[in-house]
Amino acid sequence: MQISSCSLSPAVKSRLTAAGFHFLSELRGLSPSHICAETGVSQQEALQVLQAVRGGASGGGASVGGASGGGGASVGPPPSLTALQLLQEEQSQRSIFSFCSQLDATLGGGLPVGKTTEICGAPGTGKTQLCLQLVVDVQVPVCFGGLGGQVVVVDTEGSFLLQRVQDIAGAVVKHCSLLVEDDEQRVAMTTFSVETILSNIFLVRCHDYVELLAELHLLPDFLSEHPRVRLLVIDSVAFPFRLHFDELSQRTRLLNGLAQQLIAMATSHNVAVVITNQMTTRLRGGQSQLVPALGESWGHAPTIRLLLQWAGTQRLATIFKSPGHPGATVQYQITSDGFRDADQSEQPPSKRPRTHTVQSATGQRDSNQSSAGQRDSNQSAAGQRDSNQSAAGQRDSNQSAAGQRDSNQSAAGQRDSNQSAAGQRECS
Amino acid sequence: MDWDQLELHPRIISAVRRCALSVRAVLCVSAPDLQRLSGLSRSDTQQLLTAAATACRRHAPLPALLSRGFQSSLRLSVGCPILDELLRGGLPAEGVTELSGESGAGKTQLALQVCLSVQYPTQYGGLDAGAVFISTEDSFPVRRLQQLIRGQSCLRSDVPPSLISSLNFSDRVYIEHAADLASLQECVSRRVPLLLARGLVRLVVVDSVAALFRSDFLASDWLERNRQLLTFSAALHHLSREYSTPVLCINQVTDVFSSSDSLVPSSSTGTPTVAPALGLAWANQVMVRLMMWRLQGTVSRGDQSSAPRRLQVVFAPHLARGGRGAGVWREGVRGLTETA
Repeated sequence: MQISSCSLSPAVKSRLTAAGFHFLSELRGLSPSHICAETGVSQQEALQVLQAVRGGASGGGASVGGASGGGGASVGPPPSLTALQLLQEEQSQRSIFSFCSQLDATLGGGLPVGKTTEICGAPGTGKTQLCLQLVVDVQVPVCFGGLGGQVVVVDTEGSFLLQRVQDIAGAVVKHCSLLVEDDEQRVAMTTFSVETILSNIFLVRCHDYVELLAELHLLPDFLSEHPRVRLLVIDSVAFPFRLHFDELSQRTRLLNGLAQQLIAMATSHNVAVVITNQMTTRLRGGQSQLVPALGESWGHAPTIRLLLQWAGTQRLATIFKSPGHPGATVQYQITSDGFRDADQSEQPPSKRPRTHTVQSATGQRDSNQSSAGQRDSNQSAAGQRDSNQSAAGQRDSNQSAAGQRDSNQSAAGQRDSNQSAAGQRECS
Repeated sequence: MDWDQLELHPRIISAVRRCALSVRAVLCVSAPDLQRLSGLSRSDTQQLLTAAATACRRHAPLPALLSRGFQSSLRLSVGCPILDELLRGGLPAEGVTELSGESGAGKTQLALQVCLSVQYPTQYGGLDAGAVFISTEDSFPVRRLQQLIRGQSCLRSDVPPSLISSLNFSDRVYIEHAADLASLQECVSRRVPLLLARGLVRLVVVDSVAALFRSDFLASDWLERNRQLLTFSAALHHLSREYSTPVLCINQVTDVFSSSDSLVPSSSTGTPTVAPALGLAWANQVMVRLMMWRLQGTVSRGDQSSAPRRLQVVFAPHLARGGRGAGVWREGVRGLTETA
């Protein structure tokens, strides 16, 4: 590691470079007094330098993480992995499904664990509803295709109403009880109830941004103590950060640190991080646009960005940032049971609606891809509709859920074959 | 909060004192910056940050089953069982509820009625305390309030008449007038907290938020307007949370010009397209948004007749989108049974 990039005071750095040291490793094994004599820094500064040398030796990644607020600093550097290992790891990881099969399909099985996802939308589009649905869904027992995990919810708006969680939890429990086929599932259902769902949700209420920062500083420890936590929800990040900031540079700095902490938590504790963001109006060239709040640089923080919006009387969810999925728009609805597929009678629009996000270069290509992807999803939706027609009432949803699991399996199968291909190439 | 209250080595405390940082400010400084400012070692800085973070948070994450959230299922009845059913019991005891609508839709009527229903004991849907009514638009309709108080025994047939006559309704409605933004801010930051802290009131009504924010600013001042609006809403949120008090804000509406607005679902009922005023900045601050419309025609009840109204849930985390018909009568606002 270069001296110029480590966290020492500029005065010490310039002394060190003046004395001919350019890499931290060159200082290893020197005594403090030796460094003092060589460079002319004080004894205390020399001790700091040596501390930096030890920190740097134990892993460059840790000190970089430390610079962002200490979120991942206590965790050792992850061992380097090959892409194949990462792929296998990702495949062994289940996703959190949303009960909206179209959204799950476009996300490749649901919300990925170990990544950060941002849900943006104007008020009333269903951000909180999707969060509440995920909070319940992540707890679905493993034998039903869920994760059987726990949840930490950081509520900054006061909109986490347990009355609504109970509604959604009740619907999910009922859904699962209708799916029971074998003994394992029967046993799982004995403990899967609304009460257990509520007891597995860890709730924190943060009233301002300092409390939020404090909570995020302490969360890694909490996650270590509760290894079953698979989902962290922050609803919303925007609310505390849009007040009390006269100086925007300070806000940007804090938000960048926060983003680093969230990413560190997502990867090191293997949780899905879901954050919600508000929308704001931006004036550009005399036209007003609706864009996610918190500024341009925050847009880099989440891995996946979902935009929820109204189009006439339809609710639409658009993926507009994701490294792994083509951009796509799906329709959804919010029923008394929670976040669901839209009624099949209404066709999703054939064109991706304007999302008002800046995607100048990739925009065109994206939209092509999305229309292709959408056609696929339409087909599958059509297939589903057929099966729905043959069955009736509650059984519909069972079948579609089963179908969904199948399609997941087939997707996994496909990925397996990819893997074997990769393996072969390795052998040759 | 002082550094001495934290469990830290005196050496760390004296170091952080030297750089004159408060406990909360420490959390806003990155770890390397803190290390450089205070001259502490890396592990000391970590200890310092952890101690400061622990001091700043109120409690560790609690299972939802045990948390205060269960108390927040407390609701304030609006005084009519049909409308309460639409609102799943009434206004949430914590959070900002907005009621918007055109003039004459019945917003103030409903607000006045809630000012009375809050005074009932909890078993009758009230919060057993008075209300503060911050009026920014018009003079407070005190005659109408008297009329509503006389009509309470007729409206609330579920409450024993002896209890109604024992309550001194008009003594427990505190009225504040705010003619400009400065006095409004003063009101929500000084006078209202005093009433709340003494336990005299447990409902804050603002009629209306739009009036001052729409009149005091030119169109070019929108940035300053947004800042003031956020400060005001922060004050309301603080009151609501600190004293677990419902806040009801009445808002005006504005016409929507563009039909392809993704903010609000276009109304399928054919009513003119209006949206609550103050735009997105305010909408982001509201937890429950209700709208009221005045419809064509008349409905009658006994010897009285009224223009039909409709109370609509636009969004709320716990409510389904839906609406109920209602009428404004001598004794107050009542929902209409759906058969009509």
